[in-house]
Amino acid sequence: MATTPILEIRHVSRFFGGLAANSDVSFSMEEKMIMGLIGPNGAGKTTLFNCITGFYPPSRGEVLFDGHRINGLAPDKVCKLGMARTWQKVRPLAKMTVLDNVMVGALARTNRLSEAAELAMRQLRHVRLDHKARSLAGGLPIGERKKLEVARVLATQPRLLLLDEVMGGLNPAESEEIIQLILDTKRSGVTQMVIEHDMKAIMRISDRIVVLNSGEKLAEGLPREIVANPEVVAAYLGESAE
Amino acid sequence: MRALPALLPLAALALLVALPAAMTSPYALHLMILLFLAITQGESWNVLGGYTGQYSVGHAAWFGIGAYVTMMLLQFHHVAPWWGMWPAVAAAAASSLVVGSITFRLRGPYFVLASIAVAEIFRLVALNWKDVTNGAEGILMSDLPPLQVAGHVLTDFTSKVPFYYAGLALAVLTIAVNWAVHHSKLGYYFQAIREDQDAAHSLGIALTFYKNVALAISALFTACSGAFYALYVGFIDPATVLSTEVSVQFVLISIIGGIGTIAGPVVGALVIVPLSEALRANLLSDVIFRLHLVDETSPAGLFLKDNLAHAHALIYGILMVVVILFMPEGVLGFARGLLARRRRGHAPPVAEGSA
Repeated sequence: MATTPILEIRHVSRFFGGLAANSDVSFSMEEKMIMGLIGPNGAGKTTLFNCITGFYPPSRGEVLFDGHRINGLAPDKVCKLGMARTWQKVRPLAKMTVLDNVMVGALARTNRLSEAAELAMRQLRHVRLDHKARSLAGGLPIGERKKLEVARVLATQPRLLLLDEVMGGLNPAESEEIIQLILDTKRSGVTQMVIEHDMKAIMRISDRIVVLNSGEKLAEGLPREIVANPEVVAAYLGESAE
Repeated sequence: MRALPALLPLAALALLVALPAAMTSPYALHLMILLFLAITQGESWNVLGGYTGQYSVGHAAWFGIGAYVTMMLLQFHHVAPWWGMWPAVAAAAASSLVVGSITFRLRGPYFVLASIAVAEIFRLVALNWKDVTNGAEGILMSDLPPLQVAGHVLTDFTSKVPFYYAGLALAVLTIAVNWAVHHSKLGYYFQAIREDQDAAHSLGIALTFYKNVALAISALFTACSGAFYALYVGFIDPATVLSTEVSVQFVLISIIGGIGTIAGPVVGALVIVPLSEALRANLLSDVIFRLHLVDETSPAGLFLKDNLAHAHALIYGILMVVVILFMPEGVLGFARGLLARRRRGHAPPVAEGSA
C-alpha cells in the first residue's frame, strides 16, 4: 500500500508481573476506516487501548501514529497529536455542567473560552444533548453519559478515535443512536477503532475486525470472514477448534 | 434584579474602605485584619485545594517562607518589607515548583501525606538552621521603617489602619485571582483534574504541569499572606508560622466555607476568626459559667477555665467533623441548598434546618 497507515501496531506486548495482558499484537489501520476490536472478557482489548493512548507504555513493540513512534508519550501528548479515547466506565466530570465537560475537550484546540463554548455546543447538538447543556454531568442517566463522553472526545477534534464499549448498558434505541453517531463520525473523515460486545452492531459498522483472545491476536479480516472463522467461534463458545 | 449580585460586593467593598474612619477601637480593627488574613489564606489555598482538588495540608511551608524571608531580610539585612516581600514570594513560588514536580506524582491521600511531610521539612530547617533563622527563638521585628513615596511619608505604621488597608487589598486581590481562575481555561483544566485525573489526562491536559501552575499561584499568594502576618504581628518562630496547625487552618477555612467556590473561603473566614477569638478570650467558659452549667469554683470549672482557651484544636476538629458530615459542600453549599428548597416551595425539614 502506498499511503502510510494512520495507526500501526507492531508486536505490542504488555505484561503485568508475569501476566501477558497483550502479547505480540500487530495490525494496522487505514485512514477513515472503522476497525472493530472484539474478544471475550479479559482478552486485552482495553489494555491495548491503554497501550496505544499512553496510559500504559507497551512492555515491548511499537505504536506508530501517522508514521511516528508514539509509545512512551503521555496521554495528553497523544491527544494533542490527534488520537483520543473514551472510557469503558464513563468518566463524566460530575460537578461540572455538560457544556463545561465538552468545553474541557474543546480547550485542547483553543485557548479562548468563547470559541471552546461554540465548538462544544456544536458537538452537543451533534449528539442531541444540547438541551442538557446546563445540567450537572453527574446527574445524567447512563445513555446521556455515553453521549456526553462521545461529544467530549469529539470536541478534542481527533483524527483517530478509540471507542471503548460506548454501547455497553444501553437499550436498543440508545444503541441505535450511538451507531448512527459512529457512522456520522466516519462520514466526517475520522478514523475509528471500536471495542464492542454487541456482535450485530460491530458486524454492521466495522470495515475490518481484529479478534483478541488471551492477549493475542486470534484473527483479522472482513466482518463476514470473522463470523465464518472457526477459531473465533470456538473462542466465543468455548469449544475446541476441531 | 440581575445587577444586584454584581453590586453587592462593590457596596461591601466601599463600606470596608470607609470603615476605619468610623471604627476607632483597635480591637475591632484587629479583628478585621485577622479576617482579611484568613480570607487571603483561604482563597490562596482554594486555587489548589478547591479548584484543582489537591488537598494540601502543607501550606504552612509557603506561609512560612513568605514570613521568614521577609523578616530575615528586614531584620538582618535592613531591606524594607515592600521590597523584601518580593524575593520572599518568588522563593515560595520557586520552591513550590520543585516540591510540586516531586509530590504531584502522588495522588489522593498520598499527596496529602507528602504535603504534610514537606511542610515539616521546612519547619525543621527553620528550627535547626540557627545562624540564618535564629532557630526556636524566632525573629522579633525591632521596627518597621516608615513607608515613603517620593520623599513624602505615607505612613509610619503606628496605628493598625495601614495594616487594615494592606489586608483588605490582599483579600480583594486573592478573591480576584480566584475569579480570574474560575473564568479562564485554567479554571476548566483545574476542575477537570479535580473531577477525574484520567479523564482529564485523556482530554489533552498535562496533569503535572497544570497542578504545578495551581500550586505556584497558590503558594505565591500564601507567601504574601505569610509576609503580611509577620509584619503585622512583628514576631515569628517555627511554631507560629510553620506548624501543621497553620496548615490545617488553611484547609479549615475553605472546607467550612465551601471548597471550589469564590465566596467559600470568605464564609469560612467569617466562621473561623470569630470562633478562634471567642476561644482565645475565654468567652466560651464565661458562657458556660453564666448559664450555671458548671460552677466556676468547682474543680471542673477551674479545669475548663484553664484549658478551654487552649482547646481550639479540639473545637476545630469537632467543627470539621460536623461540617463534613452534615454540610459536605460547606456552609455556603448548605445555605444554597436551603435556598433552592425554599424556592421550590418546600419548607426545609426542621432537623436539617437546625443542623
